[in-house]
Amino acid sequence: MLVGILELAGQLYFSQAAPRLREWVALRPMVEQLAAGGELIVVTPRWAEPNARLAFGDELLPLRHVARAESSGFEHALEIAILGQSADELRGWRLESELESGRFRLRRWLNPAVEKPLYDFLAHVEPPALSVAIEDGSRGGDCAFGPARVSNGDLFGHPTFPSPRFICSSKEWQFVAPTVIEDQNYEPRRCIWAHPPSHGALRLRFDAVPIGAKIRGHAGLPYFFERGWHGADVELEVRVAAETVGNYRHSDGEGWKAFEFSTQRFAGQTQPVEFRVHTARAGNREFCFQAETR
Amino acid sequence: MSAAPQQRSLTERGAETRESTGTEPPPSVARGSRWQRCIDPAIFFALFAGYLGALLGSVKNLGYARDEGFYFRAASSYGKWFQLLWTDPQQALRASRVDSLWQENHEHPALMKSLFALSQRFFEGVLFEERGTAYRFPAMLLAALSVALIFAWGRRTYGRAGGLVAAIAFAGVPSVFYHSHLACFDLPIAAFWLLVAYAYQRSFETRRLLWGVASGLLYGLALETKHNSWLLPPALCAHVLLQHVLTLRRPWRRNWWRVRIPSALVFMLLLAPLVFYGLWPWIWRHTYERLVEYAQFHLQHVYYNIEFLGHTYFEPPFPRSYAWLLTLATVPASTLWLAAVGGIASARSYLCERRERARQRAAAELPKECPPQPASREPARTGAASLWLLCIFSSYSVWLSSGTPIFGGTKHWLPAYPFLALFAGAGFAALQRVLARLLEESQTARLRRYRGWLEAALAASLLAAPVTMTAHAHPWGLSAYTPLVGGAPGAATLGLNRTFWGYTTGALQTQINALAPENARVYIHDTALDSFKMLQHDSRLRSDLLPWTTVAGSSLALYHHEQHMSRVEHMIWVDYGTVAPARIGALDGVPVVLLYQRPATPAPDQ
Repeated sequence: MLVGILELAGQLYFSQAAPRLREWVALRPMVEQLAAGGELIVVTPRWAEPNARLAFGDELLPLRHVARAESSGFEHALEIAILGQSADELRGWRLESELESGRFRLRRWLNPAVEKPLYDFLAHVEPPALSVAIEDGSRGGDCAFGPARVSNGDLFGHPTFPSPRFICSSKEWQFVAPTVIEDQNYEPRRCIWAHPPSHGALRLRFDAVPIGAKIRGHAGLPYFFERGWHGADVELEVRVAAETVGNYRHSDGEGWKAFEFSTQRFAGQTQPVEFRVHTARAGNREFCFQAETR
Repeated sequence: MSAAPQQRSLTERGAETRESTGTEPPPSVARGSRWQRCIDPAIFFALFAGYLGALLGSVKNLGYARDEGFYFRAASSYGKWFQLLWTDPQQALRASRVDSLWQENHEHPALMKSLFALSQRFFEGVLFEERGTAYRFPAMLLAALSVALIFAWGRRTYGRAGGLVAAIAFAGVPSVFYHSHLACFDLPIAAFWLLVAYAYQRSFETRRLLWGVASGLLYGLALETKHNSWLLPPALCAHVLLQHVLTLRRPWRRNWWRVRIPSALVFMLLLAPLVFYGLWPWIWRHTYERLVEYAQFHLQHVYYNIEFLGHTYFEPPFPRSYAWLLTLATVPASTLWLAAVGGIASARSYLCERRERARQRAAAELPKECPPQPASREPARTGAASLWLLCIFSSYSVWLSSGTPIFGGTKHWLPAYPFLALFAGAGFAALQRVLARLLEESQTARLRRYRGWLEAALAASLLAAPVTMTAHAHPWGLSAYTPLVGGAPGAATLGLNRTFWGYTTGALQTQINALAPENARVYIHDTALDSFKMLQHDSRLRSDLLPWTTVAGSSLALYHHEQHMSRVEHMIWVDYGTVAPARIGALDGVPVVLLYQRPATPAPDQ
């Protein structure tokens, strides 16, 4: 008898435990106040985030935050937690304030080890900041920036190929533009699509980049495919002022992976930065990366 | 078959069996007045009609599942053949016509799709306005029959109240209620498992040829429903062996020939293949090749993705704990607890009876710790409980291999649930006996007068949670989880699959109709094209909407959440220029299906 009563009580409790959409909507004014400086909003548990996105909109939860590469570049974060959860990615951050509103717990965190980006390459994927070319001896050429037909697959298709973009050849996938891929946890990662060409290398040149102590970034391929492919490794060479500062190699199955190269000797200067992407066999090498100078 | 002259002792045992197991009903259902005799049939029909009514009454907001779309298409094709058979039999039986019309969805046998077709042909516009409901009706009938049959079998075995509890416990599993609505095969194959097992058990008990023939015919229908049926004969054979191992005297090597093979197994071997062959025109030609193709399709089935504890599995090895843990997470704990009590009570009853017989043989007195249990009719020798246990084990057995695909959530071991419910009924019967003993030992005689009320309160307390849970979960049956894992929110936090099959489009049909511009293209994501079209045919979705299979070019986009499908939502974000869904369909605050609307101008920040 006790089992039945306990289960009924549990059913009634858990079915009412999580806030409903109207409660998320009602929370918006408070969140607007607390995250007024365009701060990172972290919703936990992560499954509740769609409710927050609907309620708060793109202004408070822009794509660049939702599909961030990591949170170490943010100085502050507002954590919106339900069901007594707390966000793993904010471990080690310092709690500034905390308040409860209905079934929400809102905590403002300070990142004690913030590494503010000097330059986010993802935010400059357009002329004149960026020029793109395929380097392949005689066949190479510049990639023109302009509108293109937006396309995407279904589950088994490619990520969205946006418009406008740098179009490098008649092959639809041979372009450079920001898109979103999924990482090994199927979480979104915003990055620069840089599919290596069949021959030679894809070169992305960012002019006038303020250089700091390092270039930090992440790279990967859509994990839904990367997990099952056995394609050739993809290599990314990073050059500052025509000097190689580091090489990153990505093998299938590694997922979204970080890289970091010292640029100490150029610190404080403004220099062109080049990313050269190449592979031995280009089939299905849907390489995508993001990087920042710090 | 049964054996020869020197079988005297076995025959005696047979008589003993009938005596001890009683084909006569338990005391609680003993024959009495005419009114008394009507109660059980009345309950049977009330359960049947009540469950069917509940299904029909709740069907309108349940969207069409992905696989239903494929079966609608197949049923439509088979329906054309039936029509042709009616008007021009000669033409219908021509090989080219058979092949062309039965080719559709030939990876599954034809029974249910044929019934869907006939139901649509005869009931659409007569009984049902919606074509989808007409297609779904045969599966609903089988679901309702299962509920009623569980009552009947439970009543025969341990009494009316236990049978009633068993039937409601089965109906009160949220995933059972969900699958009971669908024009699919998962609930029908569970129903046929139950029907075959029941007929087999009756054949075992009574040795009447009629039950043997019924077993054969029903097993043919089971084979013709879904390939889970392949797992049933091992359970029945194991049951025969188990019963004889327990009965035969040593040395077994000298006694093996005494094993009596029930007629049910013989007719299953003789009749079932004929039924299977006769009802599936696709295998009338190239029989061997097509059967091999059918078997290989399922034995080498592709691996779909499924999330379990936060990880998406898409290739072996799959976790062996999947089926068991998911059962714990989706079947109400009250039912599982009752089933465990029932299992223990059945085992205890069996052991006591065995000891009793052994002592009787040694001319000893009955042991005091094993008093006769009049309410318990669990027959040791006909072994209903061991049959149920073997059916449960057989249903789950394929998931002992880490190579068996785990997609499909709980639906693939659904045939185990009727037997689980029967054990739950046995558990309730055991609790009844405990209650009766407590009342008898009680000092207060007045309390005994309330025995019926106390039993009703006990049943209500154990069934309230399952029934509440099931009612609450509709129409989100696949997203429902029990309090053991924290309900839907707890399951989402644990990383258990939230939904599949794209049926939750039905939960947002009103919002889609309200938001879509005229002639809008709607990206349908996991909803099958034919399922979406059926929603339109049934006027649930506007007919001017155009189902669209890519995000690009659509005005509205659906996203049914599964972990590995998140990439589809990411496509929508980049294409639409927004991460904010326009509407969300949720169970208990947990988003299950999202509807995006392409903004007039994308968000500036994208």
